[in-house]
Amino acid sequence: MFPAPCERPRRRPLTPSSLPRPPSASPRSALQVSLSVWRALFMREALSRVSSQRFGWVWLLLQPVVHIALLMLLFSTLRQRTLAGADFALFLALGLLGYQLFTNTAQRSASALAANRGLLAYRQVLPVDTVLVRAVVEGSLQLLVGLALLSGAALFRFDVLPHDPLLALEAYLLLWLFGSGLGLALSVGYALVPEIEKIMGFVFMPLYFASGVLFSPAAMPARLQEWLLYNPIVHGLELGRAAFFPGYHLVQGLSAGYLASFGLAFWLLGLALHRRFAIQVAAQ
Amino acid sequence: MIELRDVHKRYRTTHGAGRWVLKGITLDIPAQRSVGLLGANGEGKSTLLRLIGGIDTPTKGKVVRHCRTSWPLGLAGGLQSALTGRQNATFVCRIHGQEADIPEKLAFIADFAEIGAAFDEPIKTYSSGMQARLKFAMSMAFDFEVYLVDELTSVGDAAFRKKARAAFNQLADRSSVIMVSHGESTLREFCESGIWLRDGHAHWFDKLDDALAHYKESIHT
Repeated sequence: MFPAPCERPRRRPLTPSSLPRPPSASPRSALQVSLSVWRALFMREALSRVSSQRFGWVWLLLQPVVHIALLMLLFSTLRQRTLAGADFALFLALGLLGYQLFTNTAQRSASALAANRGLLAYRQVLPVDTVLVRAVVEGSLQLLVGLALLSGAALFRFDVLPHDPLLALEAYLLLWLFGSGLGLALSVGYALVPEIEKIMGFVFMPLYFASGVLFSPAAMPARLQEWLLYNPIVHGLELGRAAFFPGYHLVQGLSAGYLASFGLAFWLLGLALHRRFAIQVAAQ
Repeated sequence: MIELRDVHKRYRTTHGAGRWVLKGITLDIPAQRSVGLLGANGEGKSTLLRLIGGIDTPTKGKVVRHCRTSWPLGLAGGLQSALTGRQNATFVCRIHGQEADIPEKLAFIADFAEIGAAFDEPIKTYSSGMQARLKFAMSMAFDFEVYLVDELTSVGDAAFRKKARAAFNQLADRSSVIMVSHGESTLREFCESGIWLRDGHAHWFDKLDDALAHYKESIHT
């Protein structure tokens, strides 16, 4: 047998404080580290979003344009050109842009963790960082897509300037807030219970039809309106349209506060989940 | 110095909590002291290195780093496959707060890694040897006080291994390593002290030779 090994060093060598340190040794504050991680992740995400496929930028713009063009083709043969006091092409475009802002932010930030798992090999990068940064990247990207699309429409003499810019800002900001909050919460869900991702696929699909992208809730029967108003996205999309079209016919009971409380509640839930399950989410 | 205080670790498995890999490790790893981590497979050497590196959290207890510590070199991950080597290197510079020195660091990394034009190709086109070169070069670009190394010297071709050794030896006066390796000669070359892991407990030895002796005796009995 060998002698019982000791647990501690028997002889303490030089303490680190007695050694000269290089000037850069002063540790960065937690906030400084977070800021540099966010900056680095932002650049990385933006870069891979536009350069992972050939003509990345073109696809980003082409997707909503083709979507709207197809819908226009379909609907212009079926019904009249204006709806509830709004030009139908613009009506569709605003609905689709708002809806995309919500779903893309939610879905892409929810999957941010899986896409960036390799980067957790650096202790500076926390799981929640990847989700937050992706939500911001996706929001900025959708903003650019929206601006490009509306500028394009202006060339074709559409009246694309909102008559109430603040309301437009509020509506789309709140849609982003809700999307990113949902993404935050879902990202933890996806990591802990992978089945949630499959279930969410079923949820997002009918959401498109229940959010009033294709129709104005004002044109729906009263009982259906009541149900539609439970969906916070309807509130965002309708307020967004009201900000653009002066005489837009709104249903009773639309409220920015309703959408905002969903957004804040999901942010709170998402951050709390990231905090509570930090170890489980980072593992794997 | 790196303080380990009553560090416990177990992993979650598909059927509940797994066995305890580390059962209460209390150690001070002095700065300026290179240490080899010894132990049979599955004794938690890599787990301990991940905990020291801060990329995993102890189930119980805590780890405090009083010096600038590298990420664990040689472990999988750390590179984004869709981005180029240059973009990955830029990312690592940014998260280490070296925004201002990026051009300088990139030049160093490109030069050290010796992967030529592949530096501007996506990581997914790299061989495992090229990835190892890039990761090693990235870690050499920052002056860490402690380098965490997991079987690093087993990667890359002979020429690069030689270069890596030379670089490490050059660092030796201001940095130290904490190293996991099964290669006795590698350990002897870089480490003065040893930690022997067995049954979830850590045993510290001032002399690496003592640690090696105990480790070898334990596998022969």
